[in-house]
Amino acid sequence: MLSHLDPRGMCPARTVILGAAGFIGRAILGELLADGCSAVGVDRTKVDLLSPDASGRLAELLRGEDALVFVAARAPCKDVAMLVENLVMARAVCDALTRRPVAHVVYISSDAVYRDSAEPLTEASCAEPASLHGAMHLAREVALKSAFPGPLAMIRPTLVYGTDDPHNGYGPNRFRRLAAAGQDIVLFGEGEERRDHVAVKDIARLASLILRHRSAGIANAVSGDTVSFRELAEFTANAFSPGVAVRTTPRQGPMPHGGYRPFDNRAVLKAFPQFRFTPWQDGLRELNARALQSREPVRGRS
Amino acid sequence: MLPRIGFAGMTHLGLVSAVAASEKGFGVVCFDPEAGHVRLLTEGRWPIAEAQLDELAVKNRGRLRFSADPVALRACDIVYVAPDVPTDDAGGSDLGAISALLDQVSSAVSDETVVVILSQVPPGFTREKQRRIRNLYYQVETLIFGRAVERALRPERYVVGCADPAQPLPARLAAFLAVDGCPILPMRYESAELAKIAINMCLVASVSTANTLAELCERIGAEWSEIVPALKLDRRIGEHAYLAPGLGIAGGNLERDLATVCTLADRYGTDADVVRAWVANSRHRRDWALTTLWKHVLTGTQDPVIAVLGLTYKENTHSVKNSPALALLDNLQSFATRVYDPVVSSPPGTRPRCHRAASALEACEGADALAVMTPWPEFRRLDPAEIASRMRGGIVLDPYAVFSAVACRSAGMRYLTLGSPPKD
Amino acid sequence: MISHSQLAPQRPDRVVLLGGNGFIGDAIRRQLLGRDVNVLAPASADCNLLDPQSAAQLQSMLRPLDAVVMAAALTPDRGRDMGTFMKNLAMVQHLAAALAAVPCTHLVYFSSDAVYPAELSRVAEAAPASPRDLYGVMHYAREVMLREVKHVPILILRPTLVYGARDTHNAYGPNRFCRSAAGEGTISLFGEGEELRDHVHVDDVARLTVRCILHRSRGTLNVATGTSMSFRAVAQTVAGRFAPRQIDIRSTPRVTPVTHRHYDVANLVKAFPDFRFTAFEAGIAALVTDLQGEK
Repeated sequence: MLSHLDPRGMCPARTVILGAAGFIGRAILGELLADGCSAVGVDRTKVDLLSPDASGRLAELLRGEDALVFVAARAPCKDVAMLVENLVMARAVCDALTRRPVAHVVYISSDAVYRDSAEPLTEASCAEPASLHGAMHLAREVALKSAFPGPLAMIRPTLVYGTDDPHNGYGPNRFRRLAAAGQDIVLFGEGEERRDHVAVKDIARLASLILRHRSAGIANAVSGDTVSFRELAEFTANAFSPGVAVRTTPRQGPMPHGGYRPFDNRAVLKAFPQFRFTPWQDGLRELNARALQSREPVRGRS
Repeated sequence: MLPRIGFAGMTHLGLVSAVAASEKGFGVVCFDPEAGHVRLLTEGRWPIAEAQLDELAVKNRGRLRFSADPVALRACDIVYVAPDVPTDDAGGSDLGAISALLDQVSSAVSDETVVVILSQVPPGFTREKQRRIRNLYYQVETLIFGRAVERALRPERYVVGCADPAQPLPARLAAFLAVDGCPILPMRYESAELAKIAINMCLVASVSTANTLAELCERIGAEWSEIVPALKLDRRIGEHAYLAPGLGIAGGNLERDLATVCTLADRYGTDADVVRAWVANSRHRRDWALTTLWKHVLTGTQDPVIAVLGLTYKENTHSVKNSPALALLDNLQSFATRVYDPVVSSPPGTRPRCHRAASALEACEGADALAVMTPWPEFRRLDPAEIASRMRGGIVLDPYAVFSAVACRSAGMRYLTLGSPPKD
Repeated sequence: MISHSQLAPQRPDRVVLLGGNGFIGDAIRRQLLGRDVNVLAPASADCNLLDPQSAAQLQSMLRPLDAVVMAAALTPDRGRDMGTFMKNLAMVQHLAAALAAVPCTHLVYFSSDAVYPAELSRVAEAAPASPRDLYGVMHYAREVMLREVKHVPILILRPTLVYGARDTHNAYGPNRFCRSAAGEGTISLFGEGEELRDHVHVDDVARLTVRCILHRSRGTLNVATGTSMSFRAVAQTVAGRFAPRQIDIRSTPRVTPVTHRHYDVANLVKAFPDFRFTAFEAGIAALVTDLQGEK
């Protein structure tokens, strides 16, 4: 579902990353710089996408040969007010692109746009989101598509893990911090839901490939494997010593997505034959090792 | 010395198979754990309607022995286990009863007894049970509701699932099966368990294709019944192909098999999208009678009266499982309906505006529209002119083409059927 | 895919109708009044949903026993850009805030068939509502936003193309054809007008909505007749109304590729088996008459 405008894979003249201070944005910026590509991060201090003059300031900043990565968001989108804010941001970007078209736009969306399915989801699966968060991303995707006639790539990641995740989201990130701090890992229910988790560095590497090949279309950033939260917790708990316990709790509400959300990631592997997604065991092992060395503190909301 | 055959589970499958075996000359022990059920059978009161079943049971009563005590099976050389495997609305199977019955049977019989599972089970079931029962086989049953006895007496072939198909079948089982003179196909358990499903998938594919094209005929102005003979003369399709369009899959067995294939595909990661499409097509066809009535009658007539002939899901059976007739009646609750079925006396549930007629013609009295929802043979003998004279209105929905379109139109009625464009 | 909370029809305490001056809203208001239903249709002056104040205004207006009908939207003729999009979202943002404070007994939201991708030729409620354009995603997002409101049973109505006299949008189809036939004596078709579409008369939409209100129905329902016709056939039907005056039906270059749209109305039939749609000929006759009356 991706088509490449540049088969050679050369760095764009410059990549501008909107939302470079965020978890994914930072990783993409770092990856591009490590690849030797010219890249600049734009965060709220440079352009506040919620301010009325945002589109003007952004347009001034952009150049015709730029590639723009739009990842800035107020996420996860939990209520109507946040949804509207996220769309205000998208509007500013769309207006800026209309005033100053760039060469390539990459939007970091979310797998939340997909309708739930028991069969593995692919880029061709139905984008009919049930959640506000998914509706927000779908609306931003459609808005960008309407505003920008040039090559547009949407990357839709599943649950993301990595160090420096600011949300301390339920999953590998939180489990690692708890275990590193010697605290028990608490699961919702039995932790039986099976989900796909992708390493943030994989998203960054994929984004870099897409930018260098000026690809257009949809790419799911998914490992292709599912694992239960319980298994993740136990894997993490055992990585630290003294080992911590994994505790279950009564479930408060229904499991999101029916407790099972598998992906088939062959389309991305076909688009980039040398690319591999990191299996979760390898990804977590690496993170756990680093955490052990630095013993990062538990932070963020629990 | 002829082998003695036992049947455990006096269900439709068990009863028909038992009577057929007795007709072929074998002494048969019929076991069912339900004492009350056994008593009814001993008194000759069959709970199911199948052509020839009553006469053959009476004729062979000397060879048929009914018991609620599993010990009675001890004398048998072969015991067929044939309970119903209930299906839920999603088509999933409940294997509790058959597992319990198998346990009961294997405790009662000797190690030498050949035990054969006859009920439809998901692939993998028999191999799992084989750990406890030494001589365990699986046999594919191919009974058709309404023609079950005939199918049991004259099988096309026997498909026998074995732990190791390279080993010869036990002599007693081979002797029993050889009586019919038809091909015997031994294969491993999983192949046999899948064989029945495979047969049903081919049938569903054929019917779904017929449904899809018949619907197109209705809009394009083509006549599906004109096309069918050309298909049947194509050897790759064949003269016995299932090409009659219908109102969706019903009865329970086909739905179960469709669900099993989807579940297996999910588990093993194979593509079963086409099966899901068949299920969707079936649901879509189910609405034909309701939407057709809506278009032609319900919105045009003041307080219309609808006559419905047939309640079962298929003719010559007593089963109303997933019956399109009942689905239609469920949606017509707010209208006056008059129903008649040769076997099922009344539709289940309270239906305040539903009148149970004593005959097909009585059901048509004063009706604005008639829907023939099950093609019982006796309906074919009705005279359209007579029907027309009893009805108030003149709309006939005849999805299975029970009546002659020409006769209905001559009688002044508006005739609507599957695969045919509505003519005015 | 809709279910009735009340099997026997029952008038709600009051219906608060937002967008009651619009094309569909006005037809609903007339039907409700005709059925002796108590209706509050606040005028823009009292409550302009575009204004952030409207959340508080609505909140003070709403009562727990109200049924709310949300038919207010800026339609594509008022703008297809993000500005209009954001305004439309703001309207629902304000409504949602009011409903969060005063949960009513029933909410009916007028969405659009634009939530379905254009190339989807057969639409039933279970079809993927995967919009590809801003207008469609606006309605879809509004559906999701309103579904999030807790404790308010919601019915989402997705109408097909609606025609009727008070249509201010001059939408391509019966509305525009009748006006141009009456005015210039011509009807312009894109291409040969081959596309098949389902057209529903606004009074039918209103009558069906009233039924849904009386039954407190919830779920999602496409409002369509189940019969589609080509734009050319529509043009011919319209032209026929002006006989003996000759109406010139012209082809103009096509703007979008031909796609067809049919609705599977089985769910509507199951919900309202006796609901009758106005026959197209009769609907056009009424439209032409109403337009002449307007002159």
